[in-house]
Amino acid sequence: MYQYSEQDQRLIEERVEQYRDQTQRYLAGQIPEEEFRILRLQNGLYFQRHAPMLRVAINYGLMSSRQMRMLAKISRDYDKNYVHFTTRQNVQFNWPEMEKVPDILAELATVQMHAIQTSGSCIRSVTSDQFAGVVAGEIEDPRPWSEIIRQWAALHPEFAYLPRKFKIAVTGCEQDRAATQVHDIGVRLTKNDAGEVGFEVLVGGGLGRTPMIGKVIREFLPQQDLLSYLEAILRVYNLLGRRDNKYKARIKILVDSMGAEAFGAKVEAEWEQIRDTELKLTQAEIDRVKADFALPAYAADAASGSSYDEKLNSDQDFAVWIERNTFDHKVPGYRAVTLTLKGLLKAPGDVTDVQLDAIADLADQYNFGEVRSTHEQNLVFANINQADLYPLWQALVELDLARPVVGTINDMIVCPGLDFCSLANAETLSVSRQIQQKFDDLDYLYDLGEIKLKLSGCINACAHHHVGHIGILGVDKNGESYYQITLGGSSASDASLGKVLGKSIPRDDVASTLEKILSVFVEIREEGERFIDTVRRVGNKPFKERVYAAVN
Amino acid sequence: MPLLIDQKVVADDHWVRVDDTEQLAQLGNNPAILAWELFSQQRDELLAADGELAVAIPNDLDVVELEPLLERLSVIAVDFPSFADGRAFSQARLLRRAGFKGQIRASGDVTRDRLRFMHRCGIDAMEIAEDRFSPEMLGAFGEISVNNQGAEDDPRPIYRQ
Ligand code: SF4
Repeated sequence: MYQYSEQDQRLIEERVEQYRDQTQRYLAGQIPEEEFRILRLQNGLYFQRHAPMLRVAINYGLMSSRQMRMLAKISRDYDKNYVHFTTRQNVQFNWPEMEKVPDILAELATVQMHAIQTSGSCIRSVTSDQFAGVVAGEIEDPRPWSEIIRQWAALHPEFAYLPRKFKIAVTGCEQDRAATQVHDIGVRLTKNDAGEVGFEVLVGGGLGRTPMIGKVIREFLPQQDLLSYLEAILRVYNLLGRRDNKYKARIKILVDSMGAEAFGAKVEAEWEQIRDTELKLTQAEIDRVKADFALPAYAADAASGSSYDEKLNSDQDFAVWIERNTFDHKVPGYRAVTLTLKGLLKAPGDVTDVQLDAIADLADQYNFGEVRSTHEQNLVFANINQADLYPLWQALVELDLARPVVGTINDMIVCPGLDFCSLANAETLSVSRQIQQKFDDLDYLYDLGEIKLKLSGCINACAHHHVGHIGILGVDKNGESYYQITLGGSSASDASLGKVLGKSIPRDDVASTLEKILSVFVEIREEGERFIDTVRRVGNKPFKERVYAAVN
Repeated sequence: MPLLIDQKVVADDHWVRVDDTEQLAQLGNNPAILAWELFSQQRDELLAADGELAVAIPNDLDVVELEPLLERLSVIAVDFPSFADGRAFSQARLLRRAGFKGQIRASGDVTRDRLRFMHRCGIDAMEIAEDRFSPEMLGAFGEISVNNQGAEDDPRPIYRQ
């Protein structure tokens, strides 16, 4: 994992003091409300429905056990003993006091954490693949590149006041787990015909009110040109992006109105001016950052023990968990493990301080002291020796972090909605509980197979409902929460946007409506088809007919 | 209006702002920063005349239009119509890259918490509204001592420093 240089450390410490001063000047009445709003957002602090919310960056989802213990401590000392992991791999505190935030940030800085650019109209924290570095077939580990981008973006003097927020995702793998096609910029590691590793660059993807799939503007970007190319994109956007209407201010609208080709041509022209400047990455820098992501010292004999196979045969629950919640590792004898933060009837992504401390201990014991957060609001131990899987599973069961539901309809992504978020139009947490209760039969869940269910409490789409196999969007109808359902979305390499099924439904009907949809699926699916495949084959019609059939 | 130049408060500003022809007519030989529209209307006469020239540009102007004038201009004022509108950061950088050596002056909603970014983007003068000025605001330039990116103050990114 990346180790801060002395300058990295100084930067975040100075940023804490700068923010402390900004907070004090605001409290002293020297900064107008609207101006402080933007300053605090650039440092991750929202004013929510009940209290402020502080979003802390977990860059590309990578944390150390030490950092995790700090999150636990902060949740105890300043908050209500839990944290919430978000769909962009970050973590949120829901109840800090505004006056104490500088102290929280100072504590975070002692473990190389910060809240820089986790919100606001600036370049946000970079996201990536939770299985980076450990999956077979990866072109290259995307994390060093994510880190290089993070450093470039941090307090960039030119791009702190963009037309709108700006999100970058990086993937090193064909199977896109970073949703690069629905980001402002998607960076995908790729190889050219000469076998050199570089990047394919997409722009203009995004969700929210006007969902769009990103477009490739450069098929191959040499490695050392990464930052100059990003800088060229950002400069064009900063100058030309709309600022008159916040719903039209994202780069996707600019790319769409100019056309991807014309936008790309502008970027290329700007890039020509700067590609051979000091922005060019040096090999020494690339090597320095890469060295920090060297793989851990794997046990050479990990694949040789027999205890794992014995347990697989003797313990059915363990075998199910292995099948559902663990992932193939490129090193024989190792697996990557997902810790599900989808405890029954808890808010998806929530973890208590006790769990955090326990996870940190397990990470030290079994996973080289490392924890990762995922876009699906789970956590990952990426490097588990198979001999350790059984004791780890037992410990996770105790902690309620082993529900074997990864990839099922119960592994849903849910934003906080009306319970916490001041922008929300509808409740989300009560609906996710309703769904979990309806679909609590694991055999039925497994029979349904992979279904990505995503539930957002408003059009801002924090849960990415447009790219859920089933998407649910909360809307407000005369003060009541209603829900619009879309089918057929995906954020994987075959990205697509879901299509609306029909008119929105009342809250109490959500789970029963899903049940109807899924019963149609079970009836009409063909051999080996996942839900998304069936929807792609037959469209929304049969589902719509069942859901909106006249009651007689 | 308080003015900062090169991170210091300067007592008097010899430039006045001129937005229309009437003001221009009354100006005499005083040095003035001319609104871009006004300058464009009388461009040929103004360029032919002696004396220093300065313009104030809107933040949606493509600064390529200024390139033929850069040698001739002493001051270019860039505009922050709202503190949250960051277009002028890029304009300033492009002007410096095109070789402009004169003063780039931030005007509009210019307040403390953006001064360091302005400086880094090549803006060397800042007009501050009276009610937002305090001498302590000069501290803003030194709040963060680490520059990850190359910019106009130092072209070297952190990995070349
Ligand atoms: S989708 Fe809407 S309700 Fe949900 S977290 Fe985002 S802004 Fe809030």
